[in-house]
Amino acid sequence: MKNSKIQTAVLTVLITVGSIFSANAQDANTILKKMDDVMYSPKDMTGKQKIILTDKNGKQETREATMQQKGTDKRMFRFTSPASLAGIAVLSLPNDIMYLYLPAFGKERRIATSAKNQNFAGTDFSYDDMESKAYSEKYIPKLLKTEANVFVIELTPKSKSDYSKIIVNMNKTNYYPESMEYYDKGGNKIKEAKYTVKKVSNYWNAELVEMTDLKKNHKTKMQMYDVKYDTGLTDDDFTIRKLKE
Amino acid sequence: MKRIALFSIILLAVSGIIKAQDSIVTIQNYDKNDLKISGELLTDERFLLKDKNDWAWNENRLTLKLDKKITDNSKFYSEVWLRNIGLPNLSTSADLYNKGIVDPYNLEIREGYVQMFSFLTKNLDLKIGRQLIIWGTADKLNPTDNLNPYDLENILDFGRHRASDAINMNYYFNSDFSLQGVYIPFFKPANMPVGIFANALNPATELPQGMVLKEYSDNLLMPKYNLAESAVAGGKFKGMVKGVDFSLSYVWGRDGLPFSTKNTFTPVDTLGGININSQLSFARTHIIGADLATSIAGIGFWTEAAAFIPEKDVVMTNDLSVLFPLSPVPVTKDTMLLDKTKPYIKFVVGGDYNFKDGSYLNIQYLHGFIQERGNENLNDYFFLRYEKKFFNEKLTIAPIGGAFIVTDWNKIKNNYAIAYIPQVSYQATDDVEITLAAGLFDGKGDNMFANLKDYNMFMFKLKYCF
Repeated sequence: MKNSKIQTAVLTVLITVGSIFSANAQDANTILKKMDDVMYSPKDMTGKQKIILTDKNGKQETREATMQQKGTDKRMFRFTSPASLAGIAVLSLPNDIMYLYLPAFGKERRIATSAKNQNFAGTDFSYDDMESKAYSEKYIPKLLKTEANVFVIELTPKSKSDYSKIIVNMNKTNYYPESMEYYDKGGNKIKEAKYTVKKVSNYWNAELVEMTDLKKNHKTKMQMYDVKYDTGLTDDDFTIRKLKE
Repeated sequence: MKRIALFSIILLAVSGIIKAQDSIVTIQNYDKNDLKISGELLTDERFLLKDKNDWAWNENRLTLKLDKKITDNSKFYSEVWLRNIGLPNLSTSADLYNKGIVDPYNLEIREGYVQMFSFLTKNLDLKIGRQLIIWGTADKLNPTDNLNPYDLENILDFGRHRASDAINMNYYFNSDFSLQGVYIPFFKPANMPVGIFANALNPATELPQGMVLKEYSDNLLMPKYNLAESAVAGGKFKGMVKGVDFSLSYVWGRDGLPFSTKNTFTPVDTLGGININSQLSFARTHIIGADLATSIAGIGFWTEAAAFIPEKDVVMTNDLSVLFPLSPVPVTKDTMLLDKTKPYIKFVVGGDYNFKDGSYLNIQYLHGFIQERGNENLNDYFFLRYEKKFFNEKLTIAPIGGAFIVTDWNKIKNNYAIAYIPQVSYQATDDVEITLAAGLFDGKGDNMFANLKDYNMFMFKLKYCF
């Protein structure tokens, strides 16, 4: 009986140590790959967005939009309010091909890729932040530490970027980011994003992303609602024909 | 063979009926509240900088847009302008009884069409009604955009067109390639600039030495209204290959600005004073166009060109018979305005770049402005705009904006123009934008912008969207 208790205790210790060792043993690449899998696993996504901009004086502005996405490289974004922006749409396609549709001009316009240098539609998100390209394709990860609930990973851009690094706090259970800190070339923290996630149809969804520009003291809350996954969007839903509808 | 043809026609008709029935069902199911009403209120005021700051422009416009989804595959759209434009031109007490003179206004149906997606076949879209059909990849100045007539009322709003009543079909082969066909049954000419801009596009009249123009009159020869003569048609093949958007187009159109094809001179005094009566007509023209757009190393790049080929030679006949009463035969002098064997080509090349600090640069070079025809009359225009946004895009300052024009490179000192149009825009609320701008013009020679040099102005615009 005594031996049996000892065996159980040893086994428990071994399992515990083993699992800790296993978690630590996961290298940064594997962890980041898991984050990509969680964030970009749906085949397609349709949803609505409420974007709340808050300036340093606490004054708020609200914008609403619809969004459709297929895979990681096809996206249609269309403002529905306020009236001055309603109808303006952006179509993003693979290889950095982007079109802007302005109802006042009545035709699509190819956007220079340098538009990605600027913030997306007056928000605190850059076009880069909005891009749904897998992080493992864009960044080299380094596991800084493992805390009780999160992995802390440093991402260094593989190619030209506005950021020198991004520090990600990634939930150990669902592998979704809880927060991200963005650093400029001088090593100064310039922005931070906080994620609130919820499970929708077997997928984790960031129902609220709060991005703060620390320099400007300006905040953007991006709320996702009416989210639907895997509704069968096709490539035909991401064309200039649809952009102009 | 006849049976097969008949069968095909019946099949097409039946499928049309089935489609129509589908549409009726969907109409019954549609949400009646789905009518979207939006629009804007615009006030555009300008005054001259010289003397007593005369008003140069007064426009108050209510734009009303109605957008209604009819079925899942069709929609209705219309845009109407209700405007108070111009300044009251009161000269007699009788005018005070006419509200239209005291308070000039007009109503304009800018667009009104029904659009059907996947019409008859999944890949075909059809749009019927008054519509703007905008072609070209360049910004505002599009040599290939020749289906709708130019709306030249506000000469500083380059490239504005009026809508045409048209049938417009787009067939999409796949996500990258499409073919468009357009038929416009009634040709409509361009409307000319108004107010202080009225003479901006008119070239200086050159008369033989000793002659003084006393009175000018003209008659417009409009094409007959039938299916062929008054019609305008066009087609465009559009695609994308290796990240480059391109299109090839053809328009069987008419020049929207009239040519003076016959001038009759009548002496009115012994001091060389003459009256001129002109016959004006709109030349049938074939227009072959091409454009492309892409982004290279972050820079947006576009180019566009159109070759204009008149169907017949355009000749101006000056009838001087009255000046030579003793001549046994009519005395006329012909001048070739356009040779049908010598197409003239207008083109534009441009690029833009977004800087990290939120600023934006846009450059365009244009050869051949809207009103210029014939290779020897096409001038060079360089457009530049640099703007920077501040306070989370609420304030946009464009300190550099305008154009440099050369009409004769060999005698550039006397044949150039500069238009400098700096601008500041402030987004006061989500839906209200206030714009302040100046228009400063200088130049020498006979060109549009040099003609505006006495009209340096200050401009104020307020736009409210709802």
